[in-house]
Amino acid sequence: MDYLLTLGVLISIFVILSTSYNLVIGYGGLSTVAHPIFFAIGAYTAGLLSIHTTIPPPVNVLIGAAAAMVASVLLAASSLRVSGDYLLIASLGFQLGLLQLIKNLDFTGGPGGLGAIPGTFTGPLRAPIYLAIAGGLAILTVLAIRSIVQGPYGRAITAMRDEELAFTALGRNAMSLKIVIFAIGCGFAGIAGGVYAYYFQYISPDQFEVLQSAAILTMVVLGGMGTVYGPVVGAVLLLAIPQAITFLNLPSSVMAPMQGILFTLLVLLFLFLRPAGILGGSAKVRL
Amino acid sequence: MFDPVILAQILWTGIATASPFVLLTAGFALTLKVTGLWNFAQAGLMAIAFYTMFFALNAFGLPVVAAVPLGVVVTSAAALVIEAYGLQVLRERHSGNLTFFIFTLILSEFIIYVLTLAFGTEPQTLFKSILSPVSIIGDIAVSDWDKVAVAMAATGLALLWGFMHGTREGQFLTAVADNAPLAELYGISAIRAYRVTAVIAALFIVAAMYLIGSHGGIVPNTPLELVLTAVIATLLGGIGRVFAAAAAAVFLALIQSFSILFIDSRWQNLLLYGFLFAAILLFPRGVRLIAIRR
Repeated sequence: MDYLLTLGVLISIFVILSTSYNLVIGYGGLSTVAHPIFFAIGAYTAGLLSIHTTIPPPVNVLIGAAAAMVASVLLAASSLRVSGDYLLIASLGFQLGLLQLIKNLDFTGGPGGLGAIPGTFTGPLRAPIYLAIAGGLAILTVLAIRSIVQGPYGRAITAMRDEELAFTALGRNAMSLKIVIFAIGCGFAGIAGGVYAYYFQYISPDQFEVLQSAAILTMVVLGGMGTVYGPVVGAVLLLAIPQAITFLNLPSSVMAPMQGILFTLLVLLFLFLRPAGILGGSAKVRL
Repeated sequence: MFDPVILAQILWTGIATASPFVLLTAGFALTLKVTGLWNFAQAGLMAIAFYTMFFALNAFGLPVVAAVPLGVVVTSAAALVIEAYGLQVLRERHSGNLTFFIFTLILSEFIIYVLTLAFGTEPQTLFKSILSPVSIIGDIAVSDWDKVAVAMAATGLALLWGFMHGTREGQFLTAVADNAPLAELYGISAIRAYRVTAVIAALFIVAAMYLIGSHGGIVPNTPLELVLTAVIATLLGGIGRVFAAAAAAVFLALIQSFSILFIDSRWQNLLLYGFLFAAILLFPRGVRLIAIRR
């Protein structure tokens, strides 16, 4: 039972991650791969604060989200100034550089990771409580992003994504809109990181590597980039399907690459056979 | 600390260490110049090149003279398959840059996962011993590997320069890089240019992976880090300036080498990312040391 509850928490966390990433990449059209690093910033901030201070956990999670937002604004404001494509390269460098920093700092636990994060809840109800919290946050994230993209602000976002020149000619500031979208998306990733740190009580740099970028990207592409519920479907499918491999009782040296092969193969197949994803019937975003 | 012999030694070792990165950067920058793509699939090709040679040398027991050509054939074939059945399909579909990026990065990761499954995550070297005989030249220790590496990088760049400037095929690549639709109007096949570029990049990748694999351990994930160095050097050199990018690769390696005089070695890799941001923020069109007159 605990296994299924943990899977539920993980799916909820990845729903937050994939939905927020979809806002950035699918609706905003911002080419970035660094979403896991904002997840990491949220996780490490919340984890470190919970170890070293007595600040209540929800506040720690919010501080983690704020830290992720600040970092995202710094990254976007500097790299978007030049050209959209540079954000892609800069985001990759930012992710790898920050991970390198985390690995070399003592107070983050170095490459061994940060452990002994206080669990907040104990006892048999711990997992169900976390599932309720993470699930609730996932639903709130989806609803919040739906309200953003389906309202007037969302129309501005898609207009900017599809015709930036015309959007700018109408007197709108594309740069500030991009930074706001990026910050909102990364803020949600920070929240996911905080919940992750509190539930699993252990985080390490390896959990936020480029391969994690591929996993989140897979969820968005598979579900349907630029659709509200596509990333939710993608996250559920991609976390549920590999569980079948788990039941084969393979050693971790085989299981980890097998899951990676499954993830990447699905993206490649969808990219060529169904670029709009499962829910992107009308091809909201041209791939 | 600033003994001239030590400084000269660091300079030489830095240049030798830079050699494989020069080759990788030249292949990456040429691909970007001709196709306009940040082709992260080259990380996958690096992994294919290394493990083909590794398998040929260690499982089949083939000699180097057979293993390296096998690496060239397999890597070139893989590059052509990616070009013909991946990138060209996306071009015909008028896909955006993001799609090309997703395809190339995910393909690399797919290849890396397959190779992880096949070879594990233990570092592997091409040869059982990576020790190279050392000779002292003017108080500086020069290993045989250093000599081979510098010679291969210099020869590779000279051949590329000769090809680009002295052959019609090379000039076609430049024409396609400048304006592919216009080049097509003049009867130059852009598809052919892309495929020729893919093969040239594959040759550079095999040469670089031979050098890296005979000098230290490689895990399937290593190529992703290598390709990032090529990206940074390409940015510093300036998009479309292949030889400047190669020079930037040398500069980066020298900065890393000399940094041991000032900072802890564990922070050396972080320097690369610092340069990445400096390149993007300060020199988005690359560093130009000489003003260009028209």
